[in-house]
Amino acid sequence: MHADRTNRAALIVLALIASGAGILGALASFGVFGASVQHRPLVDNPVSRYFGREGEWLWPVVAGVAGLITLACLYWLWVLLFSTDRTGDLRVAGDNRFGRTTLVPGTIAHAVTDEVASYPGVVAAGSRLIGDPDIPTLVITADLEDSADIAAVRRRIETQAAEHARQALDRPEMPVQLDLTITNRRTSRVA
Amino acid sequence: MRLVNRLLAVLLALALATGGVLVVVEVIAERLDKAPVVVDWHRIYSWAETTSLTQGSVRVACIVTAVLGLVLLFAELRRGRPKRLAAASDSVDAGYTRRGVANAISRAVNDVDGINSSAVKVRRRRIRVRARASGVGTYTAELLHEPATAAAQSQLANLELKRQPRLQVRLSTRRR
Repeated sequence: MHADRTNRAALIVLALIASGAGILGALASFGVFGASVQHRPLVDNPVSRYFGREGEWLWPVVAGVAGLITLACLYWLWVLLFSTDRTGDLRVAGDNRFGRTTLVPGTIAHAVTDEVASYPGVVAAGSRLIGDPDIPTLVITADLEDSADIAAVRRRIETQAAEHARQALDRPEMPVQLDLTITNRRTSRVA
Repeated sequence: MRLVNRLLAVLLALALATGGVLVVVEVIAERLDKAPVVVDWHRIYSWAETTSLTQGSVRVACIVTAVLGLVLLFAELRRGRPKRLAAASDSVDAGYTRRGVANAISRAVNDVDGINSSAVKVRRRRIRVRARASGVGTYTAELLHEPATAAAQSQLANLELKRQPRLQVRLSTRRR
């Protein structure tokens, strides 16, 4: 899922900073780094002294960096709250002199879903295209009956439905992700 | 964990964005020789000038920060249960959901004559099956152990997973 890696990385960085600062502060507080450090005022440290000396140019730089961090965080929030990883319209290759042809990803996803759902042993199916429109990934999900020949159904989806989608989009190397769930539900289809 | 991470990420992004705006506003106010706009940092600075690390509130704040940081670090680095188990496939990134694998094995074990019910836990490297036999004697459980294990193993082989987890089957009988 989009942004999940960024979230985890940011939280790991936060955890490292918090645990590092907290442990060092606690150790200094208990006198591990000597009595002078332990009893010194909080602002009596090299960083504060440097800011005191160089504050004239340093604070505007800090404000600039804070502004950039704010913009990055607002973008991060937008990605987290409002964006989707679904692919936009796909451009169909060909002669573009008289206009261009685009394909709505929902149409291909709908066709793949219908095809997979029609296979014996499949209780329910779904599919969607995610990622960049130039290099989309097809994600297929299917619930299989636990009495079905599971490996055979999986191979059929891989060699037929996935291949048909690749052919239709003229992308023989398109990545396909297939998520299967085996269930005790039964299909309502009449053979 | 993903949902918790997203929630924490939203809070972190909001906190950083708010902090960034405050820094920009206060630096501009200071440059224009105005009083602090939102945060009275003059008072905070005065407090820091007269406070050392030995003060109780500072000590507690350091310990709480360290503990929270370590808890978050442990939670983020720990490898949780897998969402899916990858199947051996060349052309497609195929996999079975953890629940799907549990259902498949449970069904195979339940199909063994004499077994009433089973519960399956799927982890990254190990699958644990706890089945209950319909008989009451301990010999029943011993007798059914081999067919139950064989059924679970056979179903696991049918799934053609990229990496076969270790199978652990335990059988119990009904209490008298």
